[in-house]
Amino acid sequence: MTAPISFEQPMASQKNEQEEVTLEDLLRLKRAERPSEAFWGEFDRELHQRMLQTLVKKDPLHIQIMRGLTGRFAQSIGVAAAAATIALLVLRPAFVGVGLPEAELAQQEAELAVEATFQAQLLTEFDSTMVAGRDYGIKVISSDQAAGFTRDFAMDGYRLTHESSDYSSDSAASSFSFGSATGVASLVY
Amino acid sequence: MHTSGSVTKSIYPAKSAEVSQRDLDWEIVLKVQSGNVGAFDQLVQKYREHIFSVIYNMTSNREDASDLTQETFIKAFQAIGRFRGKSSFFTWIYRIAINTTMTFLKKRNRRRYISYENVDEEVSNSEIFERLTAKNRTEKGLLINELQEKLNDALQRLSPKHRTVVILHEIEGLEHAEIAEITKASVGTVRSRLHYAKQQMQSFLQDYIA
Repeated sequence: MTAPISFEQPMASQKNEQEEVTLEDLLRLKRAERPSEAFWGEFDRELHQRMLQTLVKKDPLHIQIMRGLTGRFAQSIGVAAAAATIALLVLRPAFVGVGLPEAELAQQEAELAVEATFQAQLLTEFDSTMVAGRDYGIKVISSDQAAGFTRDFAMDGYRLTHESSDYSSDSAASSFSFGSATGVASLVY
Repeated sequence: MHTSGSVTKSIYPAKSAEVSQRDLDWEIVLKVQSGNVGAFDQLVQKYREHIFSVIYNMTSNREDASDLTQETFIKAFQAIGRFRGKSSFFTWIYRIAINTTMTFLKKRNRRRYISYENVDEEVSNSEIFERLTAKNRTEKGLLINELQEKLNDALQRLSPKHRTVVILHEIEGLEHAEIAEITKASVGTVRSRLHYAKQQMQSFLQDYIA
């Protein structure tokens, strides 16, 4: 009676196979581990934020470095130029005539003295050629003439005055003025 | 694509569908490459769960898996301009995910706290768990928690390369050739690693098997 045995053996084997738990069965548990919908909502929000950040910083690193360097360089140049301009405008007048060597100051004074002499000569020539002999009611004066005239030399001009204060001559850059009791005459070049 | 087992998860269910899915992905990739950045979201929605699953099982940590999945998509987004379609998009993004995770695991010196995901109710009510519950004479909820811990532990005891192969084949349901393409190894190497890894896991989980 082998038939029942041969019949029962496969049945038992089949039953064992069905009851047997395999590694694959256990790994089904891993497949079934899934995050909730709330998790995916948060995930999407964070990912979009990070991707936006990526879009903002999309340039390659070497270009970013170059841009940074040139930007800073140009900025530095601009700042330096502005600082130099401000320094020239604000600080230079304060230093004009200050701190110059004595020899240089003496030279400047000598040049101004020569210029004053030249101006005085011009006035003299004006007296002798243009005015003398004609009566325009103007009294011509000369620095070389007698006392009563004073010469005042400044850094950038000189003043020639008479004690009576009737006449004066200012020389600054490009003008002469003659003051009198009746009015003021100015020559502007 | 691996098709054995009734619950095997499959990205591309059949060969013809695989081709069309690949074409569909390639169309989306072309859109992104031409400047339609929003189209990338379709790829995210399609693959985020698969990528997360792979990384989660590699790291056994939910928070790390979330970060690394995001990092994977950001890397893919940054590199999509260079993607020429020589491989399918899914192979390409899986490769990015695996490489990102491998780099992370090398940097992570010690094992971190393992945080578990919820188990799908459908699976926990399945016949296998009924049998396991009866066999171990424990409450099902406790058994599931215990099994999650033991499975994670067994996976973490494998080397990252062996773990990758087990996860991609047994959990993600990929074929040997696809795993070979993703891991840049030969099919023979994949088979060998899978065989060894399964043997290891069976010994770690012998209390629950057979």
